Amino acid sequence: MKTYGTEPGAPTSVQVGISELTVSDGDDTLKSYGLGSCVAIALYDPETEIGGLAHTMLPDGDEAENSDRKPGKYADTAIRALLRRMVERGASYTTVEAKLAGGSDMFEFDSFGDGVGKRNIDAAKAELEKLGVPLVASDLGGDRGRTVEFTPETGTLLVKSSDENGNQGVTEL
Amino acid sequence: MKLDVNALGTFYRMAREGAGLAAGRLTHMTDVETRAGVTKLNFMRGREIRRDFEDSTSKVGVRVELTGAIEGYSVIVFERENALRIVESLLEESATDTDTESELSGEAGELDEFNEMTRSAATEVGNIMNNGFIDGWADVLETVIDVSTPEFVEGRSADTFFDEVEKAPAGDDLALLFQSQIETVETQVGFSHYLFPERESMAALLDRLRTSGGIEYDKLDGFDRMAERGAEEVAKTATTLTGIDTSVEIRRLNFVSLETIPEQVPDERLVGVAFEFDGVPSGYLLFLFDEESANEIVDAMVPTGAGDTEETEGFGQMGQSAIQELGNIMASGFLDGWANVLDTTIDHSTPEFIHDIGAAAVDPVVIQLGEDQEFAFVFDTVIVAAGREFDCEVYAIPDESDLERALNDLDVDRIEEEPTTAEFQNVTGTGTDGGAGTGTDTDTDT
Repeated sequence: MKTYGTEPGAPTSVQVGISELTVSDGDDTLKSYGLGSCVAIALYDPETEIGGLAHTMLPDGDEAENSDRKPGKYADTAIRALLRRMVERGASYTTVEAKLAGGSDMFEFDSFGDGVGKRNIDAAKAELEKLGVPLVASDLGGDRGRTVEFTPETGTLLVKSSDENGNQGVTEL
Repeated sequence: MKLDVNALGTFYRMAREGAGLAAGRLTHMTDVETRAGVTKLNFMRGREIRRDFEDSTSKVGVRVELTGAIEGYSVIVFERENALRIVESLLEESATDTDTESELSGEAGELDEFNEMTRSAATEVGNIMNNGFIDGWADVLETVIDVSTPEFVEGRSADTFFDEVEKAPAGDDLALLFQSQIETVETQVGFSHYLFPERESMAALLDRLRTSGGIEYDKLDGFDRMAERGAEEVAKTATTLTGIDTSVEIRRLNFVSLETIPEQVPDERLVGVAFEFDGVPSGYLLFLFDEESANEIVDAMVPTGAGDTEETEGFGQMGQSAIQELGNIMASGFLDGWANVLDTTIDHSTPEFIHDIGAAAVDPVVIQLGEDQEFAFVFDTVIVAAGREFDCEVYAIPDESDLERALNDLDVDRIEEEPTTAEFQNVTGTGTDGGAGTGTDTDTDT
């Protein structure tokens, strides 16, 4: 969900809605709620503490007509857009690292084929590899939803999820 | 008048763009961080629009009449309380800005009535919002829309807001309604925006924007009847199966961008049952309950003492089976309702149980459909029970091209009053003992 206007100075918490991406720095937190088969892509540059989070829903933006309007919707175009915006802000391309979370497959419908989550994971990994961005940590697949919180300053990606009985678990990547 | 997905998509972008501009201007004006919430195109009967207003809260609105590329009315509606809060923060702001000691803000802090000053401030806010929306549409349409002087409206019922609106949709008219929400990040002040376009002006716009043959607008009536039948069947089967007296609370046909669907789902852990369905149309169907309602249902369906659900936070095998069985029979009812209107058959899969954060339950479906379409018609239904916890949100999201085909094949005059006969198909591998497959809707032997 897009917000308009922020208070300068204070660390802010920005919600990155489905198909959106946000680049920030320092101790701001970037959050995406309720990822099912969507994949959260966090990129950060440890030296400049600039980072970004994308909440992607589909694998292949190069095939889609609207990927220039909505780069955050697709794994491949989101990674490129994050990188470009981070570099514009002062990050160094060669030190950027990646963390991924999400891509669950909660339903086994015939129409889903190998799984919609899996397609997203594969696309994100392939694009990172193509661009030479190392994937340093991930929490992917399974059949549970996740909520993620990313802080560019530390590069920490907190992944929250719950099991079937409602027990909350937090993984720090 | 004919419409197609491309034209509706343009409308959607217009509304979205307008909401963004309006939110930006509200931030600029109040220095309060705002965000544009969910934007929807609804197709609603006049009487449902009116019912929307009759929730006993007092509302204020700022209404303008539009001429030019779009003719009709644009109305910003605040809950009365919220309007007072916004005006309050505005007046405080201007008091600080001009360094006049807090006479104004002192007064504003206790605002509970509109006086001349606060009324004109509220009108000003509403007008700036209205203009934000309208500028957004004009940008997308690359055209000019003229706006009348704003009118301040205050009242409790729909009549206050619509009575003077020429050509306001009558009870049975299916109106195209644009709805947007803008929220302020900290103070929880939001408002709704409604656009009621006039039919002829809409028809002209649709003709301009259409890129395909499209669907006759009147066939949307079939849509609405599908939704009506489906919803009625769901409430009926739920009542039979649980013994809880349920009814249809909200029933809406929305046209939205796919990714807004998960945003619409409550941001909490929900219990749900999901299906894929196959036929003309094909698509996905989800029933989502909040945890309390799900517990209530399990209690109603599983004999006391037999269930293993009472002691645990989660839903045990028995509880899961009960919810799945209920979902299965509701799905059959819902899709039979559709199939009867469309004179076709629609099959559905075995139920998939889910107990997870709401958005996560919906996004796989949105992703699958998103491979081929950007927007979706969503049949949004809420079933409730008087005096009990039974809140069930039903999302039916058909594949777009199938739906267009189904509607084009539909003979509107033929829509009949045939009784619906639910035929329940066999369920296998769901952890139930096959109880849902025996063709009688009183079969609750979990």
